[in-house]
Amino acid sequence: MLRHLDAAYTLARYLTRNEHDAEDVVQDAYLRALKYFRGFRGDEEGSARAWLLAIVRNTAYSWRRRHRADTLGTQFDEELHSDSVAGEHPEATLLKGVAEESLTRALDHLPPEFREVIVLRELNGLSYKEISDVAGVPVGTVMSRLSRARQRLKDALCVEEEC
Amino acid sequence: MSHQNFESQLDAYLDGELAAADARELEAHVAQCQECRRFRDGRLALRAAIKQRVPAFQASGALRQRVWAAVRKRRTPMPWRSLAVAASLAVVALGSWQLALRRSSGQALADQVFTSHIRSLIPGHLTDVLSSDQHTVKPWFNGKLDYSPPVYDFTGRGYPLIGGRLDYVGDRSVAALVYSRRQHFISVFLWPAARGSTGAPATQTRQGYHLQRWTTADYAYWVVSDLGWSELEPFVQLLQQAEATR
Repeated sequence: MLRHLDAAYTLARYLTRNEHDAEDVVQDAYLRALKYFRGFRGDEEGSARAWLLAIVRNTAYSWRRRHRADTLGTQFDEELHSDSVAGEHPEATLLKGVAEESLTRALDHLPPEFREVIVLRELNGLSYKEISDVAGVPVGTVMSRLSRARQRLKDALCVEEEC
Repeated sequence: MSHQNFESQLDAYLDGELAAADARELEAHVAQCQECRRFRDGRLALRAAIKQRVPAFQASGALRQRVWAAVRKRRTPMPWRSLAVAASLAVVALGSWQLALRRSSGQALADQVFTSHIRSLIPGHLTDVLSSDQHTVKPWFNGKLDYSPPVYDFTGRGYPLIGGRLDYVGDRSVAALVYSRRQHFISVFLWPAARGSTGAPATQTRQGYHLQRWTTADYAYWVVSDLGWSELEPFVQLLQQAEATR
């Protein structure tokens, strides 16, 4: 499982948005993984990675609940958070506000449920099925979340680059 | 296909996750819809931007150490856990012994080498001595083995030394050296050549792990990794060259 340490750290880093908290989350997640390792029945390398990343994700979410440091810590709502850039939506203003910021900043401003699918797909290279295992949602939801998340990033990118 | 469907399916298409029939339908739609092509180009630009500007992170050496240390510490104060591990290893050992009865000794050795490598990937099992310094790893084996395994550092060639561990293969303690390539690990098992010359094939693949073995004048080498052959072979060549010029 140590070979997945970089993937685990990347996910934790984007979910906590903080280097030190990410390290704590990863360490905690590995301890949990070890504790439940014998309960793990997957035999493919890919499923071991998804299993470990699911633990990292859950650890990061409980970390977030404990610290409430997330400025966008509102309950995630599939429909509410689905509009790309609705004029009156506060996050739309937020996205416009990052015009001069980098794409990474735009990613950091997405709700974590959107952020994680982008990280798992684009940076960690997981399949939709694996992402669905990690996030605990159906593959169809993974597909729509990814598409919406990308639309939000695209909007941010366009504000930034005037396309 | 409606246009709305198109937007939600395009990402899946670009991710290679769309079923073949849907993909063909989507391609046909793109061919005759200019707006769709603009949308697709926007998505392609976004993907390129993400690749270029959104970094994947590497765990720091300090975190790597912390995880190892924490995992080790976790295991010691729980005797029941060690007992459980010991019991499962006993089952593995019994299984290997039965296998050894059934198969040629060479194949049994290959089984053990595969199993040892896979078991080493469980956290805390990879190395007993964690050092990228060959002059630290080599002396660590003093007094633990009746031979002193040659240790090389191929960091400059893209295969850094991670460390070494004592392993048990073919009814004796052997040296296992651990090298890495990106996030992959390579275990190099070696022992004096006189014993254990076998009828096992020089290369074999099992459950995504590749094994290559050869024998020099001094040592029998068994190399295992999940690296593809294209990256494992250059490593084997490095090792053979280093051994030849030793």
